[in-house]
Amino acid sequence: MPPPRRLLAHAYWILTAVLSAATIVMLLTYTPVEATMGPVQKIFYLHLPVAINTFVAALVVFIASIGYLWQRKMWWDDLAAAAGKVTVLFCAIVLLTGMVWGRSAWGAWWTWSPRLTFSLILFLLYVVYMMIRPSIEAPQRRAAISAVYGIAAFLDVPLVYLSVKMMPDIHPSSIALAPEMKLTLAAWFVPVTLTMAGLIATRFRLNRRLRAFEQHQAMTTETPAAANYMGETA
Amino acid sequence: MMAAFRQIVLMTGKDLRIEARGRQTISLVVVLGVLIIVVLGMGLGAGRPVTGFGATAILWVAYLFGGVLCFEKTMAVERNDDALAGLLLAPVDRGAIYAAKLLTNVILMFALAVVVTPVAILLFRFDLSAHPLGFALIMALGMIGFAAVGTLFAAAVSSTRLQGGLLAMLVFPLSLPVVIVSTQMMRRLFQEGEPLGGTGLATLLAFDVIFLVLSWIVFELVLEP
Repeated sequence: MPPPRRLLAHAYWILTAVLSAATIVMLLTYTPVEATMGPVQKIFYLHLPVAINTFVAALVVFIASIGYLWQRKMWWDDLAAAAGKVTVLFCAIVLLTGMVWGRSAWGAWWTWSPRLTFSLILFLLYVVYMMIRPSIEAPQRRAAISAVYGIAAFLDVPLVYLSVKMMPDIHPSSIALAPEMKLTLAAWFVPVTLTMAGLIATRFRLNRRLRAFEQHQAMTTETPAAANYMGETA
Repeated sequence: MMAAFRQIVLMTGKDLRIEARGRQTISLVVVLGVLIIVVLGMGLGAGRPVTGFGATAILWVAYLFGGVLCFEKTMAVERNDDALAGLLLAPVDRGAIYAAKLLTNVILMFALAVVVTPVAILLFRFDLSAHPLGFALIMALGMIGFAAVGTLFAAAVSSTRLQGGLLAMLVFPLSLPVVIVSTQMMRRLFQEGEPLGGTGLATLLAFDVIFLVLSWIVFELVLEP
């Protein structure tokens, strides 16, 4: 990476770290403790922004998948792979924080409530997306199948939402928040969104380097895999 | 339009004729379906009557595994003697190839259901007498959606090495809305006596339409000799 870009990346992560620290301090000192659930309710300020950003990351997978099928440029596939990984990571955080909330609110780590089920299915959809990628060796075949799955998975999300809505629900449908709580929630969106975007960008850059390295290796060693890269558009 | 329809009928006829002569897929799928029902019966304690809600869940396990086997086999036929290359060279729209494969898969899955469902009714004493047509409609719509997804990804993974496990892994999570909606609709239909319709039926129809249209569009991009 050229020095100015590296400097920019460092500045970005330092800003994200500072904002994260500030929001944690805000959560501990400024935000009031919720009356019924106590301090555990504070997990909500992480849970909701991460959940929203999971959808954003899944949307990036969807757009990159369409981009690949449209233009057949491999960088779209690298972007989709990067966003897929972040979707899995963020969805795991949503699931874990949801389970901690559930344990405190309903006394069980897992209930088949619509929203927990929805998070679980979303997690499974994108775990499978990440699992199929290394299963297919030929890069262009892998990119095409992953792109089709990436589009199908995203189109499946509203259907999963509609289907789980038919299940009996114990989840709170709306939560009344004090103004301080609303402000904390809004503040938490900033570092979480910055983290999501930063992780996708970092992983995308790494994927680009890995692909360049693999292409170079395949060409120089003249392995059968080299044939897969012939005529490939980077 | 008529030409495309004729091509679809011809290709489906070809697949079904191969199946009728070899009977490799249907016998395998039916035996697997019955085995799954028997294993679940032993696990859950056979002899106890099961409601429509439980019946759907048990049947879906058999349909899902049987279906994946159908999808794999109908695509594997094209791998023999490079038949797929010939099919791709023929002046036939790729969408028509998809429609023909889908139709074959749906017919094979219906055949599976015709055998497995009565076995399950017998073993579990399902009481479907209240809404037999509702049950059939929900399962048929679910199967069409499942086959739409399965046919697309069977074509996509048929040229990769890890066919078996990979296809099931791809298709199962995508088909979960169908399983959830059908079981919930059965609960409402049989346990709560609600009429058929509303969100459930709309979701099933939406699933079918979305994946039929998507598969029709992208099938050309995933099919490779």
